[in-house]
Amino acid sequence: MDKFLDWIVRAGSLDRRYIFLVIALVVVLPLFFPIGLPIRPTNSSQDVYNAVEKLEAGDKALVSFEYGPSTKPEIHPMAVALLRHLFEKDVKVYITCLWPDGQFMAMEALELVAERQYNKVYGEDYVLLGYRPGAEAVIKGLVSNIRKVFTVDSQGNFLDDIPMMVGVNQVADFDYLFSASAGYPGTVEWVQYAADPTGVTMSTGTTSIQVNEVMPYVQSGQIVGILGGMPGAAEYESLIGQAGIGTSGMDAQSVAHLVIVGFIIFGNISFFVERRRSKKY
Amino acid sequence: MNGSEIFGAWIAVFLTLGIFSYLYKDNPFYKISEHVFVGVSAGYWMAMAFWTQVQPNLFGRLWPTPEGEISGFLMRAWYGIYDFFGFILPSVFPDGGIDKGHGHDPHFMYILPFALGIMMLLSVSSKLSWLARLGIAYTVGMAAGLRAYAFLNSNVLGQIKGSAVSFVDMPFFSLTGVSVFNNLIILVGTITGLLYFYFSKEHSGTFGKVTRVGIYFLMISFGASFGFAVMGRISLLIGRFTDLITYGGPTYSYASIWLILLMIVLLAVWTFKGDKKVAS
Repeated sequence: MDKFLDWIVRAGSLDRRYIFLVIALVVVLPLFFPIGLPIRPTNSSQDVYNAVEKLEAGDKALVSFEYGPSTKPEIHPMAVALLRHLFEKDVKVYITCLWPDGQFMAMEALELVAERQYNKVYGEDYVLLGYRPGAEAVIKGLVSNIRKVFTVDSQGNFLDDIPMMVGVNQVADFDYLFSASAGYPGTVEWVQYAADPTGVTMSTGTTSIQVNEVMPYVQSGQIVGILGGMPGAAEYESLIGQAGIGTSGMDAQSVAHLVIVGFIIFGNISFFVERRRSKKY
Repeated sequence: MNGSEIFGAWIAVFLTLGIFSYLYKDNPFYKISEHVFVGVSAGYWMAMAFWTQVQPNLFGRLWPTPEGEISGFLMRAWYGIYDFFGFILPSVFPDGGIDKGHGHDPHFMYILPFALGIMMLLSVSSKLSWLARLGIAYTVGMAAGLRAYAFLNSNVLGQIKGSAVSFVDMPFFSLTGVSVFNNLIILVGTITGLLYFYFSKEHSGTFGKVTRVGIYFLMISFGASFGFAVMGRISLLIGRFTDLITYGGPTYSYASIWLILLMIVLLAVWTFKGDKKVAS
């Protein structure tokens, strides 16, 4: 027994680089050999899906891209899934970006979904307004008059020359608002400056780390549903019935979580054994 | 697949592996990747802000393309300043004004933010740095005013409204949905959590027990945050590994495989040389 406890204490002070190596292996292996673990949508993902389902063909959705390459694996799959759902329902999509690199994320998602998959027409079915710096000031501007913030879209077309911009002057003209957010400025600012003052239905997709910060707004009904990180994206993909990048990463995610939980339990056992021994002697 | 895309993939793989190499120990690959990331991010952000905001929305409003001939002494003088700028920086101030759909008359109101912006840049001068305070004061004051209402409306009133729910037609218990039990937990957690941050009374006796409950709620909240943080980091790791696997294929000339091997060899040589130096 003592030998076993010795081993536990020794293993507790294992060089952290071995832990990194184990994590790398458990993430890589399921990517090569998928297990196909089931994905069950949570209530909050279901709420986002239901909110989009309520939209009708021709309704207007404002989607804001507030993330970049550093958080792409978490947010991009849900942005793509949401666009698929919106285009499937023939909803008109208006895209803004509060992050400079959000514009490139939006271009990539639109090329994949709007152009290649659904053959949508730019300016009639979707428009990429582009990026404007100014964080909440930009949202405030969009709430009062879109044309004060955007006189041209991301391609340099004057807003008044874009067919789907006719009659769209402010946030209140939209039927649905979605913020794909990885931090500031993002979901919280959209709630504070757009959704709450105008009453437009808003949902969000955030990084996992933001979920705790945004959840109070979901609980209070200020936001209708939230997609949290890669699992949120995978759940949404399962809801719309189109598996994508989120779903393919979920095996690796689940196995990695199990291993990390195992490490935490083992580390605690090792800590308590060592503490008991030091008290004894 | 064209050459620039393959070259881009090689760069992406090198930078990813460079950052990962820190997990072994601090090394030149990590330093290169870190400095490139910081430099490129700052440069990219600045270029985007300038070409999407300062040039079209500030200069474009101050010197829009005029309709017809410029008339009047003041207007000619105003566009004379523009021509001078255009002589120095023709790409920013093109001939004949900036046409960004703001109309054809200059918005002189925008001289104020232009001046405040210049004042903020003067912080680099030891004699004129005091002027930067005006720009900063304006920004802070404007942001405080803008945020005060939004916070009060969404974070105070909205949250109170959301918490004040009716128990009628609500199940007593539900594991995931809305229920009386879950709302009671939110109520107890909110009150005890707030009381924990009340420091005008000593945390002892009954009050101490109540605040201890608040600590437990805070700890659960921190635990949930930690869990979500781990989940997020693993997702990002999956994203990088997915890209490395993609770039390890024949389409990208096996970029990941070659660079992993090269980096391992160079790190081994570097470590070996370092050990020898320490030993001598």
